[in-house]
Amino acid sequence: MKFDLTYTLDALPRLLDGSLVTLKLALLGFTFSVVLATIVTVARTVSKSQIFGAIIAVYISFIRGTPILVQIFLVYYVLPIIGLNIGPITAGIVALTLNSAAFIIEILRGGLASVSKGQFEAARSLGLSGFALWVKVILPQTFMASIPPLVNEFTQLLKATALLSTITVVELMRVSQQIYSNNYHPIEVLTGAFVMYFLMCFAVSRSASWLEATFEVKRA
Amino acid sequence: MAVATETKNNFLEMTGIRKSFANMTALQDVSLSVPKGEVVCIIGPSGCGKSTLLRTANWLTPADAGEVRLDGELVGAMPDMRSTSVQARSLNAARARIGMVFQQFNVWPHMNVLENVVCPQMVVAKRGRDIAEKKALAALAQVGLEDKKKDWPENLSGGQKQRLAIARVLAMDPVLMLLDEPTSALDPELVSGVLAVLKQLAEKGMTMIIVTHELGFARSVADRVVFMEGGQIIEEGSPNVILRSPSTKRLQFFLEKLNITAFKPKSES
Repeated sequence: MKFDLTYTLDALPRLLDGSLVTLKLALLGFTFSVVLATIVTVARTVSKSQIFGAIIAVYISFIRGTPILVQIFLVYYVLPIIGLNIGPITAGIVALTLNSAAFIIEILRGGLASVSKGQFEAARSLGLSGFALWVKVILPQTFMASIPPLVNEFTQLLKATALLSTITVVELMRVSQQIYSNNYHPIEVLTGAFVMYFLMCFAVSRSASWLEATFEVKRA
Repeated sequence: MAVATETKNNFLEMTGIRKSFANMTALQDVSLSVPKGEVVCIIGPSGCGKSTLLRTANWLTPADAGEVRLDGELVGAMPDMRSTSVQARSLNAARARIGMVFQQFNVWPHMNVLENVVCPQMVVAKRGRDIAEKKALAALAQVGLEDKKKDWPENLSGGQKQRLAIARVLAMDPVLMLLDEPTSALDPELVSGVLAVLKQLAEKGMTMIIVTHELGFARSVADRVVFMEGGQIIEEGSPNVILRSPSTKRLQFFLEKLNITAFKPKSES
């Protein structure tokens, strides 16, 4: 069997379109999960409620203890049953968000632990409290300390979007399947997808090193 | 509640302050009044409750009992209602007038020097950026950091960080400053720069309470020295009197332990 590059090149425009969908899914899922995880982290620290803490702990262990593919199918099939009629794209983003948020809550817990008690005290003693205390003083430091694991989580999420092909989301993986089920050249087409995935992840981790270098300077 | 009575003699009024931690009593019924413009130095062995007393003055550590008033206005009281949002707001307003300086500086590492001083002014005092920057530059000049305004805190020495922390407080126009061992975390050669700034503030009439181990500094700037031990005020008075001729055995013992031969008690009375 020969490797015919023309099949890869012919597929390229559609693979690019698929990559854009993949990137969009990853960005949306990541944004939502960072927002969700941030709210949970602040709420858990401020409320000190043991019940809330226990609920979050159970949620995290469920997410970590089950395959993401099962989570995706569950969201896709269960939500319509309880009356939420959402399409595959929304279901996919919801599933990715719920999955990723659990990991990001853990990441932010570590980042927050690196912010000293004195940082809170200095802010409080100057009259900052509530929203301003968190947005101006605590969260920026929490996120700066969390850049490397957050970037890692983003690449994990980006790769996980391929699983959404199983619930008919037309992203890079499903586009590839559609192409090779017509031309019967899976190796050439999948190689194209392979390179696309790699380039996206590579670009993300490169820009992350740059981000880190930029913010590293600003840490005491 | 603004009770604008004649408060000249009790600008800061702390009454009946009690505080216990898990299994130790940090403060047992301590009262301290500070008139406007007075500089009070609190000395005492570690664990005597001096830092805790300072931290209850702006309610950063809420007391178990007692009350704190600044210029007649309530800062905190226990049994209190501090969970209500109105209380929280008035507490924030009181804290904005009380500057606190910490042993570990606690400057914000994610903001440059200027931004450290500008941020609380904009957020808490609701000043516009122009005014906040002008005030910040004046405060930085006062502590000798005007040429460092674009630097990041991590590039400052310990002494510079502490002076930045003082500038951050000064820009808020405090009426009272609380300093918790401001030079204890500094290398010896950096101490004098910070003390010089504090001395200058004292000369300008700033009301200050300073927890310190620098007895020489206490003697030169304090109007009153308070000696604490075991969560109580044991002895207080003008530095020349109590550092030279302490009337209690405990203070004598404390001063002897510090090897301050110059301050040795004259003789047993």
